[in-house]
Amino acid sequence: MESQIELEYEDIKGWTSAKMVRFIGDLDATNVETVLERICTLFKDGFINIVADFSKLRYVNSTGLGILLHFSKSAKEKGGSFKIANVNENVYEIIEIIGATSLLEIYDDVNEAVAALK
Amino acid sequence: MNVLKMEVLESDFGPDVAIWRIEGELDASSIKAINQHFNKILEGSRFHAIAEMSKVTHISSAAVGELMGCRQMLAERGGDLVFVGLNLDLKTKLNHLGAIKIFKFHNDLRTAINQYAWETHLKPEKVWLSFPSELNLVPPVRQLVSQIARQKGYGERDSFRIETIVDEVCNNAVEHGIPDKLRDIELFLKIDRKKIEIEVVNLSDPKKLNSLKAISKSILGTNEKKLERGRGLSLIKMLSNDLAIDFSGKGTTVHVTKLRED
Repeated sequence: MESQIELEYEDIKGWTSAKMVRFIGDLDATNVETVLERICTLFKDGFINIVADFSKLRYVNSTGLGILLHFSKSAKEKGGSFKIANVNENVYEIIEIIGATSLLEIYDDVNEAVAALK
Repeated sequence: MNVLKMEVLESDFGPDVAIWRIEGELDASSIKAINQHFNKILEGSRFHAIAEMSKVTHISSAAVGELMGCRQMLAERGGDLVFVGLNLDLKTKLNHLGAIKIFKFHNDLRTAINQYAWETHLKPEKVWLSFPSELNLVPPVRQLVSQIARQKGYGERDSFRIETIVDEVCNNAVEHGIPDKLRDIELFLKIDRKKIEIEVVNLSDPKKLNSLKAISKSILGTNEKKLERGRGLSLIKMLSNDLAIDFSGKGTTVHVTKLRED
């Protein structure tokens, strides 16, 4: 039984290489592989700019955070970016403790993250 | 008409606790009896009164007002007056009178006493559970512990941190443990009003033990270099107030203490 996580996709107006991905639920060791597979498919399909909306992401652990760092690195290597928006306080604290705030691109909301796409 | 009966009983649960058994109808004519029995409680310096009211059939607003006064006097002395066993009709009536905001209600005496011990003497609640060494079982375990913390009055932030600690400790136990049909992962919880202690015991895989020791030494010691592995342990250390790992014996025991903050 995996933790519940759903990913919803939305196009971003004016961008053919970007997708907005809404994370819903808990991201942990039981479902990182599923998430990894789905985000890597987006990269393969040419969506090298991802805006991850975390407004409905309740929980993340160190394994989940590891995969987010991997997405960020992979996107940069492909000339794109992995931007995160709407992080709740609890999840932000975990990111902060691990020391990943400087490694991840974090924005207050989706509009701000989209505006930062280059 | 149900005749009013009252008695104040000695309690085995501490010298400062009185069990106040009340039966029948409580109305304006009961005020004298209320005061007489309440004075017995005060004279005995028993400032925590548990009113056992499962056989009370009526409470008038005058009687409620008198009991509020009694509760106030106990509260000024660091105690409380709680109600046990009230039927639903009377609870509804007290709710309409606004008394629900003043008095605590318990369904039975045992719950009331446990609550008293929890609040007054920091008596911990203990939980033990064991589960097979499978990653998929960690989420329900971590959520259960988080819910226990919430139920015991811990705030949302603390409960989230506790959930994270349990998740990381149990994930490590699964990752580094030997799947053993004869011995599951064991989790011990001790929670009181001020802190929670979490202990997770597993059988360590000898092949992984040296790398696990190196990671924990680095994180627990002064040499805190950033490691790709060991993020979970690092997280536990930052979220908790005390972390100890014991490799002696056949397995690994991780003991975490987290103080209540919110």
